[in-house]
Amino acid sequence: MNYLKEVLASRELLINLTMREVKGKYKRTVFGQLWSLANPLALMLIYTFVFSFIFRIQLEPGDPSGLDVFAIWLLCGLLPWIFFANVLNSGITSLVSNAGLIQKVAFSRVVLPLSQVASAAYNWLFEIAVLVVVLTILGAFVLPWLPLVVVAMVLLAGFAAGLALMLSIANVYFRDTQWFLSIILQLWMYLSPVIYPVSLVADASEDAGGVLGTPVTILDLYHLNPMVYFLEVFRNLLYDNRWPDPMSWLICLAWALGALLVGFWVFRRNERNLAEAL
Amino acid sequence: MSDVAVRVDHVSKSFRMYHERNQTLKSAIMRGRTSVHEDFWALQDVSFDVPEGSTFGLIGSNGSGKSTLLKCLAKIYYPNKGTITHFGKLAAMLEVGSGFHHELSGRENIYLNGSILGMSRKEIDRKFDDIVGFSGVEQFIDQPVKNYSSGMYVRLGFSVAINVDPDILVVDEVLAVGDAEFQKKCFDKFAEFKRVGKTVILVSHSMESVRSMCDHAAWLNKGTLKAVGEAAPTIAAYEASLNNG
Repeated sequence: MNYLKEVLASRELLINLTMREVKGKYKRTVFGQLWSLANPLALMLIYTFVFSFIFRIQLEPGDPSGLDVFAIWLLCGLLPWIFFANVLNSGITSLVSNAGLIQKVAFSRVVLPLSQVASAAYNWLFEIAVLVVVLTILGAFVLPWLPLVVVAMVLLAGFAAGLALMLSIANVYFRDTQWFLSIILQLWMYLSPVIYPVSLVADASEDAGGVLGTPVTILDLYHLNPMVYFLEVFRNLLYDNRWPDPMSWLICLAWALGALLVGFWVFRRNERNLAEAL
Repeated sequence: MSDVAVRVDHVSKSFRMYHERNQTLKSAIMRGRTSVHEDFWALQDVSFDVPEGSTFGLIGSNGSGKSTLLKCLAKIYYPNKGTITHFGKLAAMLEVGSGFHHELSGRENIYLNGSILGMSRKEIDRKFDDIVGFSGVEQFIDQPVKNYSSGMYVRLGFSVAINVDPDILVVDEVLAVGDAEFQKKCFDKFAEFKRVGKTVILVSHSMESVRSMCDHAAWLNKGTLKAVGEAAPTIAAYEASLNNG
C-alpha cells in the first residue's frame, strides 16, 4: 500500500516522462502522429492479401453487427496485439536505456517502465479512435460499447504493464532477455487468434482428438494463452457489437491483476539495487 | 548551529568486485553460475553529523569513498549497514541536465527535469522565471536543447537543480560548469544558501574552493573516516598527509 502511495506521488513525473516519449517520438516528421497508423495499416494490407485472398480464411459475419470485412475484423484484434507487443518491447529496455538517469538521480524508478506503457497507450487510443470511426461508417453500432472497450483496454494495459515490469528487471541482469523477447513475441502472435479466428483452431483440434491419448485437446492447451480471451473480448465489442462471455472478462481480469501483482512485487524487490546492477 | 541536518551513523557499503560476470544467459548456464565476486568495502563504519546551516566539505584522494558516500546520501545507493538520517528536504545534484531530451525545447525540458528532481508543476510554474533568468538562456528557451552550446546546456541544468530549493543540498563536483561569470553566480548562490541557514554538502578536489566555502569538513581515506570537524584543521591534516605520503 505504501508503495502504491509512492507511485501515486510520482504521477506528475509519470505524465512528464510520458509526454517526453510522445512528443519526442514523431518530432521532425512530416506526418507526425499519423505514423502511428502506418504500421498497423501496412500489416493489415499484407495479412489481408495473404490470409483472406490467398489462403481464403472464411469468417462468420459479425453477429449482430452484420459486418463481413476481413481487414476490419483483423484490425479489431491486430491493434490490441500491436499495443501489447509495443509495451513489452519498449518496456523491457526502459531501465537499461535510462541507466545514466538511474545512477545520478533518486526518483521512483517504476515510472520508467510505466511511462512506456502510457505512451504506447496514447498511440493506441488514437488508433482505436480511428478504427471506431471506420466501424461507424461501415454501419457497425459500436458507440454504446465504447465504455466497455475502454475497460478492456485498461485490463490489457494492466496485463502488459505487469509483464513489462518483470521483463525490465530481468533485462538488467540478463541482456539476452530483449533478444529472446522478440522471438517469443513472434511465436506468441501466431499462437494467438490475431490473423485467424479461434473457430479454425477448434475445427483442427476436433479432427486431431486428444493430445497423446489424453482427453486434453489442443483447443484446451490453446486457451492457456491469455491473449485468446483478450482478443475475443475486443472483437466481441468492436466487430460483433455484443456482450463478451462473462467468463472471458473474469479471465482477463485475473491475468491483468496477477501480472500486475507479480510485476510490482518483482520490481519492488529489485528497485534498490538498480543503480549498482546497471 | 547545534542542530544536526544529516546524521551518518556507522555506515558501511560494499560493492561486489566481479572476477567473472555472466550477464548473458548462455554464459550463466555454461559456467553454472552468474558470477564470482568478492566484496570490496567502499565505506567502512563511517559516522559523523553534519550541523545544520553549515557548508560541509567531503575531501579525500581518488577512491576514498567520497562519491559512494554522496550517492548513499542521495538515496541512489543503499548502505549495507548503518543508517543515514536527514532532517529536512534533501536534494542531490550529482549531474546537471539529467534526463534532458534533445529534441524538446528548453522550456519543456525545465518541466521534465524539474519533475525528475521532485518538483511539482505548480512549483516549477512559480520558479520558471527564476530558473530561466539564472541560466541566462532566455533568448533560446523555446529552441530544442540539442541546438544549445554545451555551456548553455549545463547552465540550464544547473539552474533547474539549484531551484529545487531544498533544506539540504548535496553537490558533486559540478561547480566547474560554465564560464567565470556563471561560476561566480553559482558561488553567490551557495553563499545565499548559507545566509538563509541551509546546509550544503559538497565533494571537491579543489582545496581552494573547499577552504573558501566550507566551514566543516570530513576527510575520508580508503573508505574510513580519518578526521571530521572544523574545515581548517581537517584540510590541514589532509594536506599534511599528502606531503608526507
